[in-house]
Formats: sequence, C-alpha cells, structure tokens
Amino acid sequence: MSNYFLLFPILFPVVAGVLVMTLFKGIKERKIKLGIVFVSLVVETAAFLYSLFGPEEGLMLWKLNDMLQITFRVDTMSRIFGTLVAVVWLLVGCFAFEYMKHEESEERFFGFYLVVEGTLAALTMADNMITYYIFFEAMTLTSLPLVLHEMHKAAVMAGLKYLFYSIAGGFMALLAVFLLANGGGLGSFTAGGILDPASLAERPGAVLAAAMLLVLGFGTKAGMFPMHGWLPTAHPEAPAPASAVLSGIITKMGVLGIIRGIYYVIGPSFLKGTWVQTVWLILSISTVFMGSMLAYREKVMKKRLAYSTVSQVSYILFGLAVMDPAAFTGAIAHVIFHSLVKNTLFLAAGAIIYKTGKTLIADLKAIGKEMPVVIWCFTLVSLTLVGIPPTSGFVSKWYLATGALASGVPVFSWLGPVILLVSALLTAGYLLPVTIHGFFPGADFDYSTLKKKEPTLWMLIPMVIMTAGAVIYGIFPESLLTVIRSAAQVLFG
Amino acid sequence: MSGNLLLLAAVLWPMAAAFISYFIGRFRKTARNRFTVGATVSEFLILLILMLTGDSSFSLPKICGMSLELQMDGFRALYGCIAGFMWMMTTLFSGEYFGHYRNRNRYYLFLLMTLGATVGVFLSADLFTTFIFFEIMSFTSYVWVLHDEKPAALRAAETYLAVAVIGGMVMLMGLFLLYNAAGTLRMEELLSATRTAWETDRKTLYLAGALMVFGFGAKAGMFPLHIWLPKAHPVAPAPASALLSGILTKSGIFGILAVTCNIFLHDPTWGMAILLLGTVTMFGGALLAVFSIDFKRTLACSSMSQIGFILVGVGMQCLLGELNSLAVRGTVLHMVNHSLIKLDLFMVAGVIYMNLHQLDLNRIRGFGRKKPLLMACFLMGALGIGGIPLWNGYISKTLLHESIVEYAELFENLAEAEEMGIRLMGSYGLMKGIEWVFLISGGMTVAYMLKLFICVFLESNSDEEVQKKYDNKKEYWNIFSRIAICGSAAVLPVMGMLPGLTMNKMADMAQSFMHLEHAHEVHYFTWTNLKGGLISIGIGVALYFGVIRTLLMKKTAANKDGKVLREYVDRWPAWLDLENGVYRPLIQVWIPRILGAVCGFLDKYIIHIPLKVFMSVTGSVAAVLDKYIIELPMKVFNSVTAAAVRGMDQMADGIILLARKTTHRQILTMEKEDIRDEAAVKTGRFLDKVTRKTTHVASLVELEERVSRTDSIIRSGLSFGLLMAVLGLIVILLYILFV
Repeated sequence: MSNYFLLFPILFPVVAGVLVMTLFKGIKERKIKLGIVFVSLVVETAAFLYSLFGPEEGLMLWKLNDMLQITFRVDTMSRIFGTLVAVVWLLVGCFAFEYMKHEESEERFFGFYLVVEGTLAALTMADNMITYYIFFEAMTLTSLPLVLHEMHKAAVMAGLKYLFYSIAGGFMALLAVFLLANGGGLGSFTAGGILDPASLAERPGAVLAAAMLLVLGFGTKAGMFPMHGWLPTAHPEAPAPASAVLSGIITKMGVLGIIRGIYYVIGPSFLKGTWVQTVWLILSISTVFMGSMLAYREKVMKKRLAYSTVSQVSYILFGLAVMDPAAFTGAIAHVIFHSLVKNTLFLAAGAIIYKTGKTLIADLKAIGKEMPVVIWCFTLVSLTLVGIPPTSGFVSKWYLATGALASGVPVFSWLGPVILLVSALLTAGYLLPVTIHGFFPGADFDYSTLKKKEPTLWMLIPMVIMTAGAVIYGIFPESLLTVIRSAAQVLFG
Repeated sequence: MSGNLLLLAAVLWPMAAAFISYFIGRFRKTARNRFTVGATVSEFLILLILMLTGDSSFSLPKICGMSLELQMDGFRALYGCIAGFMWMMTTLFSGEYFGHYRNRNRYYLFLLMTLGATVGVFLSADLFTTFIFFEIMSFTSYVWVLHDEKPAALRAAETYLAVAVIGGMVMLMGLFLLYNAAGTLRMEELLSATRTAWETDRKTLYLAGALMVFGFGAKAGMFPLHIWLPKAHPVAPAPASALLSGILTKSGIFGILAVTCNIFLHDPTWGMAILLLGTVTMFGGALLAVFSIDFKRTLACSSMSQIGFILVGVGMQCLLGELNSLAVRGTVLHMVNHSLIKLDLFMVAGVIYMNLHQLDLNRIRGFGRKKPLLMACFLMGALGIGGIPLWNGYISKTLLHESIVEYAELFENLAEAEEMGIRLMGSYGLMKGIEWVFLISGGMTVAYMLKLFICVFLESNSDEEVQKKYDNKKEYWNIFSRIAICGSAAVLPVMGMLPGLTMNKMADMAQSFMHLEHAHEVHYFTWTNLKGGLISIGIGVALYFGVIRTLLMKKTAANKDGKVLREYVDRWPAWLDLENGVYRPLIQVWIPRILGAVCGFLDKYIIHIPLKVFMSVTGSVAAVLDKYIIELPMKVFNSVTAAAVRGMDQMADGIILLARKTTHRQILTMEKEDIRDEAAVKTGRFLDKVTRKTTHVASLVELEERVSRTDSIIRSGLSFGLLMAVLGLIVILLYILFV
C-alpha cells in the first residue's frame, strides 16, 4: 500500500493552481500564462490516466488509528469516474481559455480550476468514507470561487447558497459516517458492503438512517429534491465553463458518494425493499419530473439547463435506487453520457453568450445560421438527452427502464420508466425549440443582418469532441457497457 | 457481424450519400442534383438485387446496447423496393420542383438520410432495430415538413414533431413492457415467446401492444393521432408529401402489422379494436377530404382514409383467424397500391404548385385543360384510388370488402366458424354496418377524386384571363419530371389489368410475414366481386352530384360578362379541429400550467416553508428568551443602577440645589408687574428702543446691573463655601472627638 504515484495527480494540480494564482500572476503575456495552465492540464490528464490504469497498488497516506486513515486505491468505479473527470476537465479547460478572455482575474479562475481537479482526483481514488468525506468538503470549498467568480452581488449570493446547501449536505453525510463508524463502515471500499453482519443485525435502524442520510447528503451535490435549490441559482451566475463542470462533473461526485456509501459500504442487498429504498425512489422520481417540468417553463437558457441537470442526474439516482444490475449499468452509463451532453450544452450556451451576449431563449432566433457548428452540436446532444436512438442517451434510458421493470420493485418498476419517458418528452419540449428557432427562423426572416459568429477552434473542438463522444458511444456502447456490467456483476453477486 | 453485408449497405449508403451530396452541393448545384438521382437509383438497384437474390439477413451485434438485425424476405423485400422506387421517382422530380427554393442542400441531405432510415425500418428483423430507424426517420423527415419555413409550415412541422416525439416515447414504453414480458424483440421469436406470457400476463401484452400501436399509428395517421397529416402534407414540398403519404405512413403500418401478426396473431379482441379504429379513420378521412377545397389537403385526407382501409384489413386479419387469406392479401395490396397511387397524385399536385404556387381549388381551376398528358397521369391515380375495375385500387378494395363479407357470413354459419376455431366477436349487424361504412367511404373516395378531376381538368377558371394564361402554359414540366410522373402513373393500370401477373405475385411474396401459408384463388372480375365496387362508384357519383355540386359550392356575384359562376367553399366548421380544440390547449397550456404550478410550488416551498416555520419558531423562542429572560433583568438592573449612579453622581449638585432653593435663595423671583397704564408702557418701550440706538447709557446700565448680580452670586457663593468648610470642620471635629 505505498504507491506514491497516486499522490501526483492529487497534489500536482493543487501546486500548479497555487502557483498560477501567486507566482505566475505577474506574467503579463496572456499566452504564456495560459500556456502554463494548458501544460499543467495536459500533464495532469496524462498522470491521472496513468494512475488509473497503471499499477493496481494503493496508497496508505496517513493513519491515526485503525479506523481513521487516509488511503487511496483504484477500482473500476474510480476508472470510470476518473477517466471522465480527466478528459472532460481538459476539454472544458481548453474552452475556458477563450471564454475567460472577457472575464476579469483569470488567474484566480484557472488557479482554482486546477486545484479542484486535484480534489476530484482524490475523490475518485479515495478508498474509504473518511477520505471521501474530507476531499468532498475540499471540493466544495475550492469550487466555490468558480461559482462566485464574477463577484457581483448576485454571484456572491449564489455562491453562498451553493456553499450553504453543500455544507448542509456534507454534514448529513458526515453524520452518516459517524453512524456507520461503529459497524466497521470506515474500512476500505468493497463491492457489496463492508459492514459487520453482527452490527447490522443488532442495530438495523441506525444503518438505515445512515443510508438515508448518505443519500440525502450526497444527493444535495447531485441536485436531488428537496436539496436541489442551489443548482438553478448557481449555474446562471457562474461563468459558462464553471457551470459546465459544475453540472457535468461536480454533481457526479455526489453520485459517486452515494455509490460508495450504498454499494461499497452498506451493501444493496441490505437496503433492497426497505423504507430507505422507497423514499429514495420517490425522491428521485419526483426530481426527474419536477426538474424537467421546471426546465420546460424556464426562459433563461442557463437556468433551463440547470433544471435539466436536476432532472437528469436523478435519472442516475433512480437507476441506483432500483438496485438492479441492468438499471445500475444504465445509471453509470448515464453518468458519462449526461456529463458529455451537459458539458456540451453549457459550453454551447457559453459560446452564445460569449459571441452575442444573449441569455434568453426567446432571443436565439436564427442563431443556427450564425453559429452552425455550435448549434449542430447543441442539436445532437439535445437529441441525446431526449434519448433518441441511436444516440447514447437512448442506450442508458433503455437499460434504466428495462432494469427497473426487471427489478420487480412494486409500483416503481413501471412508474419509473413512465416518468422517465414523460420527462424525455419534456426534455424534447425544452431543448428542441432552441434548435428549431435557431435553424428555421421562418421564410420572412431577414437574412441580411446575419453575420457569421462561429467561435474559435479552442471553443469548437471541445464541443465537437464531446458531441461525437455522446453520439458515437450511443452506437457502439459495448466497450463501456462491458466494463460497467463487470462491476455490476461483482456488486450484485 | 454476420450475414449479407449488402443489407447494411442498403441502409448506410443513402446516409453516406446524404453527406456526400451536401458536400458537393456547397460547390455545384447541378452536380449535386445528378448525384442524388444517381444515389437513389443505385439504392433502388441494391434493393432490387437483394430482392431477386432471395432471402438474406444481416446482424450486427452490440449496437446501441442491443443489436442491429436486418432481414430481407417477402414483405420486407417488397416494401424495401417500393421505398427505393418512390425515392427514385421523387428525387427525379425534385430537380425541377425545387428549382427556385432556398436551402436545397438541406433538403437533399435530409431526403437521403430519411431514405436510409426508412429502408432500415422496412428491413428490420426486430422491433428494437425498427424503433431506432423509426426515430431517425421521424426526425429527419421533420425537416421536409418545415422546408418552406412559412408560418403554416412551421406550425405544421411543430405538430408533426410533437406527434412523432410523443408517439416515439409511448412506443418505447410499449417496447420496455414487451421486452420485459417476452424477453426478446425479434419478430420471428415473438410469436412463440409471447405464447407463454399470453396465458399468465395477457394484460401486460395488451398494454404493450396498445402503446406500440399508439406510436406506430401516430406515424400512420390513425385516428385520433391523424392530426399532423392534413396539416403537414399541404405545406410540405410536393415530393416530400408524396413520400410522407406514400411511404412514411406505411412504416407505421409496418410496425402495426409486426405487432399484430406476431403478438396478437388471430386474436379477435385485438382485431376488433383495430377494426373499429380503422373504420373511424377510414370514414373520418374521407369526410374531411370531401369537404376540403385545397388540392393537397384533399389528397392528405384521402391518405388518412386509405390508411383506415388498410387498418380495417389488419383488423379483419385477426378476426378471421385461419380464414384470413383475403384480409392479409387485401391489406398488403392496398398498402402497395396506396403508396404508388399517392406517389403519382402528389407529383401531379407538385406540377400544379410548381407552376402556380397555390393549391386552392378556386384558383387552380382549369389549369389542367389542354394538358392531356398531365390529365392522363392524374386520371390513372384517381381511377386507381377510386376503386374502378381494371385499375389497381379495385383489386385490393375488393379483397378487403370480401373479407368483411366473409366474416359477416360466419355469423350465419356458426358451425364452420367453430370448425375453424374462430371465436366470433361483434355481431352480424355490426359487421354489416362496417361493410356499409366501407362502401360509403369508397364512394366518398370516388366523389372527392371526381371533384378534383372535374375542377382542375374539365372546368374552366372563373377568370377568363387566367384561363387563357393557363391554356398557354406549355412548358409546365421538364423531361425528368415527365419521366418520373408518367413512369409512376403507368404502373397503376398495368397492375390493375394484370392482377394475376403482378399483384398476386406481390401478395404471395408478402403473406408469410403475416403467417399466412397458402391462399385461395380469387377471381377479381366475377359479378359478386364487381358488385361491391359498383355500389361504391354509384354512391360516389351520387354524392358528387348530390352533395359536392350543391351543398359544397355557392354562387358568386356575376362577373363582367354577366355570367353567374359557382365556386367551391369550405363548409367544414373551423372549431371542429382536434388539434386546435383539444391537443394544443392541453399540451401547451393546461398540462404545463397545472403540473408546472405544482412543481414550482414544490421547488419554492418544500424547503422554504419548513425553513421559514423553523426559523420563525426558533426565532420567537429566542426572542422570548431574549426579551424576558435576559432583557428584563437587564433592564431592571440597568435602571436601578442607573438611578443609583445618577443619585451618586448628582448628590453634591442636589444638595447645592436644595440649599439654593431653601436656605441660600439669592435671586428673587421676578414679581409680575401689574400693568395699569398700557400707553405709558408702550411709550416707555418705544423710548427705550430709541435711546438704545442713540446712546450707550442703557447698555452701561445693564452692564452695571450684570456686574452687581455676579458680585452678589460670588459673595453668597463664598458664604456657602464658608458654610461648607465650617460643616466640614465640625464633622472632622466630631470624628476626632468620638472615634
């Protein structure tokens, strides 16, 4: 347990980020400054991927006693989430190079952008609840400057809201960690649960309460009702790249926390059929519906996308709550697909703001004629999010729904898929109008005022790559599905 | 990956060609047009080769989480080829039709994409594959509908998309349920797989089937999901309408057949449901068509009606059980006929629109006079769809009609029904009723086709100038359009006159899809069979002269020559519109409003209210504590100490004050003067003022007074000080004495 290389992807970006904010702040030439950031991101991505797919050995960093220790280890879940983080963080970073041109104090943004990646690397590789919790809070705190970057009143208030919700969620999770500590819940993550069977039998109530608190606490980050309130407030205020990763990556860390807690500490077999599962299902299903309904009624683009995230992340939580291998597969697949899609959507929204300054959906008429590539990406990922075959959103939905039906949970096994489809309809209702009005402004539209406003390649390439990923993974999902299925097989025995 | 790669090519080649054509089109328009024609011709040839080389299949595992299964046999081959043929013809026609359009590149891109997807639907061997291509097809064909981008087109396209998306999602739910119940979606395996579930979980199967038929029926234009059809066809470009009506609706029927013949084979309950829906669709569509005064809208409503005929056939297949050979063959042949006829008719409509840019019957009246070739082309289609003997529509309608008659007769011959294991549904009267609805709908078909034909090709326009202009139009179509339209028209009578060589072969090919092994010979031109057709024609002619020429036309004011003319009027009440009356308000206004309010409430208040309640409760408790537990003693303490401190602070001053008011009173209080003489006082004051201004005596006097007052205060102060000193001395003395 002493593979010190695992520390590199955690510490390197933190050091690099701090340097960017302090030593390199004086560099006048923007290109050099961003060059340093870019190189750090690339090095980090490479190192992160190497530590994920390199030697299997873990790392025991620090140990207070047998219960409290900070350890890192890589398993299948780490690989799935870690790869996602590594790739998306680099791509969104590239987008930000261009986007942040029109914002002030870039150093602070890029500095914290790097620091957060360090905490994310630690989260994906964390091997027990304590480590996970510590870096979860670290992530919250270091991502706060990204949210309130613009520093005007609304942004600061949104940042504070984000902070309060996250801290509340974090403390619920911490309480759960305390409750689990006695039953051996602080040990190394193992598929199917690590709780002492004796303690499970002795005090099931406490474990159930802990499970509920875990779901609610980490669910706050994942935007699950009733703790979803920070999402629609924080997203419109944060700069576009920050909203993208907030929605695409940071919410997923809440999901990972739930996976770790429920599937790797408590164990799905213990929770299946309990009131915790029922409550969790109710909450996730209502979030799915509520999120998309509110998105459907929302007029501001980024707010609409934020509500959409609320709804879509709960697709994942629903899949996890069902506790069925197929639904689990769908949920994990949706983590990746939704991340690609939502990042692209926010980047597209960002590109539109950057080039035209428009934030309301009603103003986006003929936008497709001005920025065809951006809106094409937007269209394709919209279709993915709706779940139109052969895009990837369809694949995850297929697994989620068939898994739910096969699970045999009363009522929810059919209600879940119904709500998923209704929500898909609403998704079509709130995303497709952008495309429709963007590409088809009507015969009487005055084309003479249009100018080409396509952004630079720094913005386009990340979007195109993620869109291609979202679509092509839908047609050929097998490589990914095999990995998830193998993990699911271990989890469900 | 296994099987015949050519099948995959048949699906992917048009999609690849779509992008190639887009690329070419950015540089050269004519080259792009030639390339698209070449692409569709080659696609047709690929499909033809596949059909002629016999059955083949292709499977590509691990696509979209399941697998891609394609198959080329019987019915699939037949419809694949028809799709290829129709695309070839319409693409040939598109060149001229789109001559002056914007965004042609976009049109061709989506035209070819849809071709690939449609072929994918027809060649699919499992419902999963069907669904994938079906959705692609829905979305790519959407772009056709709004191609004009006029407000009507945008609105119709919105409806089209909404119906497609809702239909798709509902269908997907059906697929989930079916997959869960049967464990497979392969059409070949479904029949045996559902037999086990049939006994235990029939409700789920019915539900799954209904959901899937909802989805497929939405595309087919089945009542009550037909709403997009009469809106989308008139606004779409004519080649696109031909495809929408001729082939895309059939992809819906393909799905309905796949569900019906594999899950509900020979199930009378299911059959009755489809039959009733079909009857309503058939009659409703025909009724709308009779009322319509727009050339393409009439054709669109006619499509809906013909889909109803086909659905009646599908329903009869289930009802008739083992005896369903007439129904099966009638269904297939009516599908084929309708595809080919509508191809021809919509292209004729396209010729009219391309020249006149309008489709209102009163405006285009007389356009077809002195254009014999165009008239012939239209006539072939009209006679075909009207079910006139010797044209193709007659054959299929006769088969469908006879199947209804056959079922009705079973009610009189219960022994035979029992022998064949047929469970009868409904009653003799019901079936007779449906038969008459069928005949009347057929009659209405004749009537509205007569209306179009007489209006465009026989009558002359109410404005003679216009008519002259119409008559002089000689260059109204180019050679490619002529080939495309005449080619599609020529097929129709050939099929109708030689049914044994053409249509029977098609039916033989297709029937295995519907699990029909052998068919009994039908003589189409015997008296009993002709009778049904003739009744329909009779009804049609009567309707035309009795209703259309009287009730649906009105006299206009006399023109300048003094002739009174008659013009067509649309008497369909505007409020009787399912889309604007029910669906749009429901989906756009009521559902979002109600559910949105609920969600908004949850969003805002579920955290908010408990938080507020918590805050106010804890707040008031804290306030009480704050006020009464801490603040009160605090106040008391404060006031007491304050009083004490103030007392201490002012003790000395107080004594002084007391002394001055009592023992040491120095300044006498001013006694109020008793003024008796007002005038003297006033004079005195006046003089005072005057002297103050002129002399300094007064001020000097005041000064002296102030000095003397101060002097007396100091003196009395000194005496007070002395008093105090004496008191102090006495106290010290007492202290020294006693302590």
